[in-house]
Amino acid sequence: MSTPIIDELDQEFIDSFRSPASAGNRIRDLNPISFAVIMVACAVAAVTLPGPWGPAAICLIYVAVSIAAGVSKAFLPAYGKLFAVVGLILFVLRAAFLPGEHVLLRLGPIAISAEGIAQGLDFALVVMALCGAMTLFFTVTPMKNLMLALELRGVTPRATYVILASFQAITDLGKNTKVVMDAQKSRGIETEGGMVGRVTAFVPILAPVFLAAMSQTEERALALDARAFNSRSRHSYLVSLQPVGAAEIALVCAVAACAVLSIVGAAFIWN
Amino acid sequence: MRSYGRLTIFMIPIGIATNFIGGQIAILLKLPMYLDSIGTILVGALCGGLPGALVGLISNLINSITSPTLAPFATLSILFGFLAGWLSKHGVFKSLWKTLLSSIPFALIGSILGGLITIWVFGGLSGSGGALIVGALVAAGMDINAAVFASGVPMDFLDKIPTVLVVFLILKRIPTRLFVKLPLGHVYLNKDKTASKNPAVAVVDEEDDELALG
Repeated sequence: MSTPIIDELDQEFIDSFRSPASAGNRIRDLNPISFAVIMVACAVAAVTLPGPWGPAAICLIYVAVSIAAGVSKAFLPAYGKLFAVVGLILFVLRAAFLPGEHVLLRLGPIAISAEGIAQGLDFALVVMALCGAMTLFFTVTPMKNLMLALELRGVTPRATYVILASFQAITDLGKNTKVVMDAQKSRGIETEGGMVGRVTAFVPILAPVFLAAMSQTEERALALDARAFNSRSRHSYLVSLQPVGAAEIALVCAVAACAVLSIVGAAFIWN
Repeated sequence: MRSYGRLTIFMIPIGIATNFIGGQIAILLKLPMYLDSIGTILVGALCGGLPGALVGLISNLINSITSPTLAPFATLSILFGFLAGWLSKHGVFKSLWKTLLSSIPFALIGSILGGLITIWVFGGLSGSGGALIVGALVAAGMDINAAVFASGVPMDFLDKIPTVLVVFLILKRIPTRLFVKLPLGHVYLNKDKTASKNPAVAVVDEEDDELALG
C-alpha cells in the first residue's frame, strides 16, 4: 500500500520515541528540575551579592546561557523588553522620588539625588535578575518536559494535566473569542464608539466563549476516561527525558554551592 | 480534589483561560479596566473556594512567566477565589443587588492588600501603569503610602463592579444540566425552595438555555 519513502519517514518518526527526547543542545537537554535548581541558585545569588555589580553579573550570565542554549533569539528580545519597560520604570521612579542628601538635579518637585540613583539601580537590577531567572527558565524548558519531570517525581497527573490544559485552553479560547467577536460585530454589536457601548459589548463576547467551553467539559471527561486517565496504576509516557548524568549532578551541586557561599558572604562579609 | 467531582478538574483550565481572554477583550475594546479575574470568581462561584483559588494562583503564575513582577500579587488572586466560593455558598451571586454589593469586598481586598504588597515588595512603586499615577501624586506632595491607596481604591472599584456584573450575567446563562454536575451548582438550582419538594420537577420546570439542546 505505502511507498518506501513513507515507510522510511514513519520509521524515523517511530524511532524518535524510542530514545529520550533531545533538543540537540546540552543545556536544553538538562533535566528541567536540574535547570530549575540552577536558576533558583542564580536568583538567590542575585539577591545576596552586593549590588549593583552582583545582580548585573547574574543578568549577563543569563545572556551567556541563552546564547549557549541557542534560545537567544527568543530570550534576548523578551528580556530586553522587560528591562526597557519594567526595569526602567523601577529605576526612574526611584531615582526621581527617593529623597537623598546629594541632590544632582532639581526639576520642579522632582529632586534627583545620588542616593536615589544608587538605590534605584540596585533595586532595578535585583528585580531584573529575579525576572531573568523566570523568563530564561521558561524559554529553555518546554512546559511539557517540566510537567513530565514533575510527574516522574511523584506529582499527581491531575495537577500536571490542569497546567498543560490551561495553556491549551488559553490558545483555544483565544481563537474562539476572535470568531465570536466577529460574529457579534456582524450582527450589529458596537465594539467601538462610546464607553458605555464598549462595556456592554463585553458580555456578548465573553459569555458564549465561556459557556461553549463549559459544555465541552463533559466530552473531555469522557475522552480522558477512555484513555484510563483516572486509573490508579502507573501511567505510561510517549516521550522520555534524557537520563541525569554524573556531570549534570556535579554542575547542579556546584551552582547550588555558589548560592550558599553568596548567602554566607551576605551574612558575614559584605553586609 | 476528589470530593469536588470530575468536572472541577476541567473547569480550572477554563477559568484560567477566561481570566486571560477577559483581559484581552478589555484591551481589544479599549476599556480602562483589567477584567482579568472573571474566571477566578466564576470557578470560585461554581466549584468552591479552593478551585477558585487555584485558578487565581495558576493564572498569576502563567502571567509571571512574561512579567515576573506580577508574581507577589498571586496572594490577591488566591483570596479572590476563596472569597468567591464563600460568597457563592451563601447565595450572593443569585441576586443582582447582592452581587453588586460583593464588589465592595473584592475591590477592598484588591486595593488595600494590593497596595500593601506594592509598598512591602516594591516600596510603593511597582513597575506598572499605576506607578506613574503614584509617582505623580508623590511629586505633588502626597505621602507615598497614601498615594498608593488613593490611586488604587478608585481603580479597583472601576474594575471589580463590571467584573462581578459579568460573573452574574454568565451565571444566569449556565444551563441547568451543567449546574447539576458542579459542586456548588445546587445553590443556583434551588431558586425557589417552596415551589416543589421534589428537585427533579423543579429542574425540569426551570427555564433553560438553548445551549442545553445543542
